[in-house]
Amino acid sequence: MINYYRGWDLNKITLQPAFILHRRAYRETSLLLDLFTESYGRISLIARGVRGHRSRLRSLLQPFVPLLISWQGKSELMLLNAAENNGAPFQLRGDCLLSGFYLNELLMRVLPKQDPHPPLYTIYHDTLLELQSGMLQQHTLRLFEKKLLAELGYGLQLQYDFSTGEKVVAEQFYLFYPEQGFKRSASYAGEKMQFKGKSLLALAEEEFPDEECRRDAKRLMRIALASLLGLSFLHSRKLFTEVQ
Amino acid sequence: MQFTPLLTQLIEALRCLPGVGPKTAQRMAFQLLEHHREKGKYLAKTLHEAMQQINHCTYCRTFSEAELCHLCSSARRDHSLLCIVESPSDIVAVEQMGSYRGLYFVLMGHLSPLDGIGPEQLGIKELTLLFARNTIKEVILATNPTVEGEATAHYISELAKQYPITVTRIAHGVPLGGELEYIDSGTLAHAFAGRGML
Repeated sequence: MINYYRGWDLNKITLQPAFILHRRAYRETSLLLDLFTESYGRISLIARGVRGHRSRLRSLLQPFVPLLISWQGKSELMLLNAAENNGAPFQLRGDCLLSGFYLNELLMRVLPKQDPHPPLYTIYHDTLLELQSGMLQQHTLRLFEKKLLAELGYGLQLQYDFSTGEKVVAEQFYLFYPEQGFKRSASYAGEKMQFKGKSLLALAEEEFPDEECRRDAKRLMRIALASLLGLSFLHSRKLFTEVQ
Repeated sequence: MQFTPLLTQLIEALRCLPGVGPKTAQRMAFQLLEHHREKGKYLAKTLHEAMQQINHCTYCRTFSEAELCHLCSSARRDHSLLCIVESPSDIVAVEQMGSYRGLYFVLMGHLSPLDGIGPEQLGIKELTLLFARNTIKEVILATNPTVEGEATAHYISELAKQYPITVTRIAHGVPLGGELEYIDSGTLAHAFAGRGML
């Protein structure tokens, strides 16, 4: 028999692949979780009584652990019903761990709630896999940023000049117009928004042959993400510059 | 039911304590007023004095009304050992163990970029000054085995690299008297990764 008074029983969702992006203490023994799920996008849940001594979920409900979660409730107050392992936890160390926090902070800030992005989930998973391999490679983060922008509909048109439609030439310089694209500039003036054609083509190919390309890619991604992030800065990015 | 303004204020004030909701606060207030007037006055006096006088120890940042807490000022402690913990209650836990004779440094939290908690909030500046004094030979990182605790430990170990200091991290693994069957795979993986020679 359906109990109509407890309508949320009808909203039970089970065994969804998910990662925890952030958790906050809530009341005495509960947690407020922000999760990135494969099919439901970013959601917030209350996990009741999981901070106690006897809770089995204590070690499971951490960032970078692939989970299968079940929850119930309407969009406002959703409760975690169950969580289990969905593969081995990612063991991130050192700079790679800080990078993991960076990915989580980015997703928390730019992903709207309950907006599913299944391809992004795969990208996030694969990026964590790369971070787990040990040494932090800058290009891992750049590619994540690039794919994140593309997935959210802010993908950069790196191979063409938006004003003329001509192909980007490696030896030329281009000015970046946020949300529009790149436009050829006559000479190099060392401006913040100016990029070498070679760097743009390299990023389009997802290759970083030299230091200049890596630096330009980092600068470009910062500018491109800034319009999504608004005025406030990313805390984990700051942490990074201080460590190095 | 309406209470008088002062009584309402008392109930509201008691609610700032952890785990105290409106009902519990009301019970506490009535209990104090009905049966424990003297104890209530004593509580008020102690609370007032504590709030005025208790500050952070200038060496380890734990709560202390003196400039240096009793552990930091003790001559019997080993000043070349420094154990870094997240909260004052962690000091109590380590002291209960009884075998540690060094000093402490309390971070009062852990790095958590998403909550806006960075190195400044954790007293990393003070910690760097301690490192620069060159009295410390070993730093034991006893932050919690959560991802945030690990990140904090990594951050501090990077800092300590500039100084001639040995940096160690507490081991994590199977609890004493525990059974492998009931231990989660994450802990077990740690225990295997950190296995020791016999």
